[in-house]
Amino acid sequence: MIPETLKKALEARVASAITAREAAVDVMKELQAHYGWLTDEAVEEAASLLGLSPLQVEELATFYEMIYRRPVGKKVIHVCDSISCWCVDCDGIIEHLKEKLGVALGGTTADGMFTLLPCCCMGMCGDGPAMSVGGIPYGKLTPELVDEILEMERQKI
Amino acid sequence: MPKLIIDDIPVEVAPGTSVLEAARSVGITIPHFCYHPALAIAAACRLCAVKLLDGPVKGIQMSCALPAQDGMVVSTTDPEALRMRQLVIEWLMINHPHDCPVCDEGGECLLQDFTIAGGHSRRRYQGKKRTFQNQYLGETIHHEMNRCIECYRCVRFYQDYAGGTDFGVTGSAGRVYFGRFQEGALESPFSGNLVDICPTGVFTDKTGRFRARYWDYQFAPSVCQHCSVGCNTAPQNFQRETIKIVGRRNDQVNGWFICDRARFDKGYLNDPQRPREARLDGATCGYDVAIDAAAKAIGKFVAQNGAESLAFVGSSRLSLEGMILLAQLARTVDGARLCYFTDGGELTGSAAAARLLNEKNSAYLRDIEKAECIALYALDLMEEGPMLALAVRKAFLAGAQIYLVDGDPIPAREKLPFTFTAVATLDEVPFEGGGRGVVIAGAGKKDADLLDQLASGGAKLVMLQPGPNAMAGGLLSLEFGGQAFSELASAGKIKGVVCFEADLPEGLIVDVEVVACADWRTGAAAAKAPVFLPTTTWVESDGTAINYEGRAQRFQRTRVPGLPLRGLDPKYYGSTADAVAEHPPRVHRKEVPGGAERDAWRVMAQLIERLGGRTIEEPLTGRWSKLKDLDPESEGVRVFNLLQGDPRTDS
Amino acid sequence: MTLPLFRHNRANRVVTFDEYREEGGFEGLKKAFTGMSPAEVQQTVIDSGLRGRGGAGFPTGRKWSFVPRDLPGPRWLICNCDEMEPGTYKDRVLLEHNPYSLIEGMTLACYALGVRHAFIFIRKGYEKAAANLAHGIEEAKKAGLLGEKILGTEHSIDLDLHLSAGRYICGEETALINALEGRRPNPRQKPPFPAVKGLWQGPTVVNNVETLANIPAIIANGSAWFKGLALNPEGAGSKLFCVSGSVKNRACVELPIGTTLEAVLDACGGMREGRKFKACIPGGASTQFLKPEHMKLPMDYDTVAKAGSRLGSGGVIVFDESHCLVEATLNLITFFARESCGWCTPCREGLPFVREILTRIENGRGEEDDIAILREHVKYLNYTFCALAPGAMAPLDGLLRDFEDEVREHIVKKRCPLK
Repeated sequence: MIPETLKKALEARVASAITAREAAVDVMKELQAHYGWLTDEAVEEAASLLGLSPLQVEELATFYEMIYRRPVGKKVIHVCDSISCWCVDCDGIIEHLKEKLGVALGGTTADGMFTLLPCCCMGMCGDGPAMSVGGIPYGKLTPELVDEILEMERQKI
Repeated sequence: MPKLIIDDIPVEVAPGTSVLEAARSVGITIPHFCYHPALAIAAACRLCAVKLLDGPVKGIQMSCALPAQDGMVVSTTDPEALRMRQLVIEWLMINHPHDCPVCDEGGECLLQDFTIAGGHSRRRYQGKKRTFQNQYLGETIHHEMNRCIECYRCVRFYQDYAGGTDFGVTGSAGRVYFGRFQEGALESPFSGNLVDICPTGVFTDKTGRFRARYWDYQFAPSVCQHCSVGCNTAPQNFQRETIKIVGRRNDQVNGWFICDRARFDKGYLNDPQRPREARLDGATCGYDVAIDAAAKAIGKFVAQNGAESLAFVGSSRLSLEGMILLAQLARTVDGARLCYFTDGGELTGSAAAARLLNEKNSAYLRDIEKAECIALYALDLMEEGPMLALAVRKAFLAGAQIYLVDGDPIPAREKLPFTFTAVATLDEVPFEGGGRGVVIAGAGKKDADLLDQLASGGAKLVMLQPGPNAMAGGLLSLEFGGQAFSELASAGKIKGVVCFEADLPEGLIVDVEVVACADWRTGAAAAKAPVFLPTTTWVESDGTAINYEGRAQRFQRTRVPGLPLRGLDPKYYGSTADAVAEHPPRVHRKEVPGGAERDAWRVMAQLIERLGGRTIEEPLTGRWSKLKDLDPESEGVRVFNLLQGDPRTDS
Repeated sequence: MTLPLFRHNRANRVVTFDEYREEGGFEGLKKAFTGMSPAEVQQTVIDSGLRGRGGAGFPTGRKWSFVPRDLPGPRWLICNCDEMEPGTYKDRVLLEHNPYSLIEGMTLACYALGVRHAFIFIRKGYEKAAANLAHGIEEAKKAGLLGEKILGTEHSIDLDLHLSAGRYICGEETALINALEGRRPNPRQKPPFPAVKGLWQGPTVVNNVETLANIPAIIANGSAWFKGLALNPEGAGSKLFCVSGSVKNRACVELPIGTTLEAVLDACGGMREGRKFKACIPGGASTQFLKPEHMKLPMDYDTVAKAGSRLGSGGVIVFDESHCLVEATLNLITFFARESCGWCTPCREGLPFVREILTRIENGRGEEDDIAILREHVKYLNYTFCALAPGAMAPLDGLLRDFEDEVREHIVKKRCPLK
């Protein structure tokens, strides 16, 4: 169940859209922010807010890279593996992240803190290798910098 | 009218026709998966590639999505087009399982056909095949997602065409998945069409899986006998069992699709408990012995009570042939009563429809689909004519206004695949000059004045009927003075009945003698009848049915009558003791077990002959004789003009 | 010479509304709303020679002219800020420094096209750009430059942001329209083209951020001025080149159209220490390789096309001699295979096939027949529903055209020669 204030806000968002569907991505993102991931319950709540069936929300939710339909850690790490970051050895950074976190790509750390996912070009090609942690972008990564960032992000919770 | 050349053949087609359809019009089948005439163009599978050699467009193009234009020179056999089509097959086979031998679709699979046709045999891709988890989709449809070739036909049908919202497409790229949010039975009453529309074996008919291959089936063109729409079907039978029923195209009646009742409600056809043998006083007997007994009993009853206290009662389950002969049978027993309906309201409704509808005002499928304004009047559309709900949806999607008029019964509001405005009376529906307006009403249980009022409104009319062939019952009731049995019975005018496929409630025949009963199922009348004559169902007989709009359609016998082989009682191989004593059993039998059933009209013809009437070889005589050669694969023929000017049969 | 796009940029912060106005911002808007008809604005854009900066390079004014003038009902403008082409980050840099050029440019485009309501479709990850825009829109509204009755005229224009959730295909204009409507972002069948039937079935123009951000300066300074910015006679205006890979200072720079490849690289400090230029992809992931012999090539749409590649988005990805181009191409194909929407067969199934072959070649398990299979895909993956797979084939085509020896070496030696 979502709090009444969030529900009201989302209802207002849907009402301001030209068609209810148009607000689908916003609603899914907000519910994801609330639950940590887009739970089955959240899909059903989104459906009722948008006047769609849960399946119709699922059709959208499963299309987008940044909507999580599986449980994730408190912070999701998206590490770019596209060409510009590849040029500056993102593979090494990804290996370092896997080792440091003790997970494979797609995995969540045992403490539930981080989920590690590869992602497509983040538009940080000038600052590669790049990643985002919980939505905060980080560039010009080195193994040492990655360690610092992870430590800092852990502390921020 | 664009003129083009396809494989050296000049073709002229209507504007807007695709190259794929233009090719088809001259007998060239361009392979395709995602293209389906009933659905919007997807251009997703890319199999229908052709090469344009000259004209306004050049090079490789997808023929399904390319409107035919003047001056086009199309090659369907160009090496580059062929290679493209081969590659599409190869791409699809990268992930399609090699399970044809154990796939229920094998033998009727479009993917199998085109894979063979394209010559694909060698696997060049060295990676693994992707796999999916299947979902439970209910008791009627089996899901096998690994076979999917992502043509999007299912979702385009389910959501776009049929208005369902609980099944669709999730994921993306190579993880596209067609299913539900969570496992569970599909909600759409049209879900069974997924079986027909899937070009491979993702959706198979769970009620008939692994029973037979396509080439094993006995099947023939038939007409569904569940409601008065008369959708065209093809029952697929094996070893005297109706395994599956699939939709059959008729653009005038049902398009390509059928409802789930038409497809899955077939258990009664295969019921081993169905009456199969003639009975006389509770004991089985030869069929002719029973007919003799019935004739004798009718004679005796008339001698004792007078013909006017005997009713010959049929129902809308009878074919037109049976209904015509029922009238002749009643006439043979001079003064006997004729009933096609038990309920008085149903008779009134069907007779009114027969009287009021004509070639001009009777709306059919296309009229509904193209209507600008539709009023649903006092009916439960999803119950009385589900396929028409899809026609209304089509009109709705094209911008038509839909009104739901409260009446008796109150129309069902739930689950209609379109949105509507509810109004209290028909006067509130803004038919503008009646131009492209359609009123859809249930004909049963209405007073005639009301129906007169509907017919005078200027809009075209649909009067759905209380049974599959009730329109014929209405027409013949007018012609031969048919009465409602319940009214005769409650007025105490009836002492005896002869029933043909009539469903008489027990309460109506408490004080009535059931002289004889012919039916393919059992009921109160059969239980009471000293003479019982088993009849064939519509899948086991040839016949004609007239649907709600007055369209006569011929259905063919799709299989021989008799007990299904599956679960056949050991008694048919001799007694249980014999079977143990002697194996293999040596009980000689020349007939199909339980195959004694006869068509109801043939039983009537034999009775007429025994009661002093003449020998009847052909039931469709007089003004009905024009239907004699009705082609079961035609779109049927509307009877209004046929029946004009020749009001009486000559027999 | 002052170039139109980055002239307002501050080193490490976003330009303020007042600074933008002091430096001539919103002058174009004023000029148009007070002295030009919508048709004149459109004609100026046509005359300027401005071409779509998102990648396809289609003349912007002509695209606008496809919108039927007389169709009733609302029409729409969408700014495509779904910048997900690998190697491309120019729109982000622009918007993180200056949201106003885009806001003003869109207002002008709406005026020219008769649009009441426009959208900016922003990719996931560009939250800072989105925040700048949201702030900028409020400021412009307060100043009477956007919203109801702009500059006291009868013209009212609304700008709304649509924040997406990350998919490359949303950058395809018809997929973007579906995404904006809240439908699955599969591309749509064309025709009808968006200019006739787009967003909610109304006439719709979709333009890239950089394209629209050029409009204010074009209107303020005239089409001749804009055309004259280019270094080559066929070209017009400036271009944002966002350079990544093996250059010394990876950066997004604004240079005149027609600047040579060498000068673009020089603007980024040349090659990284000790690295030798091997090849580059000049316009984002879906363009072909340029080689050392192309150093003097003027970077303009037509000249780059003549050289066998495309100027594309201006995302220049530079490879040096240590980079294996089989592996680079594999990386690109992996991206495209992952980003396929899954609608049509060749893209959904063909790209993973190509990926499988390139993976084998890179890992020393390539076979002689593989090159022929790849070539076949380069040809037949052009016959797809949208431009994603043909785009994916561009670097593969380039690899087989310019670096076949390197591919063959992998197969013959049964290993990557650079590992």
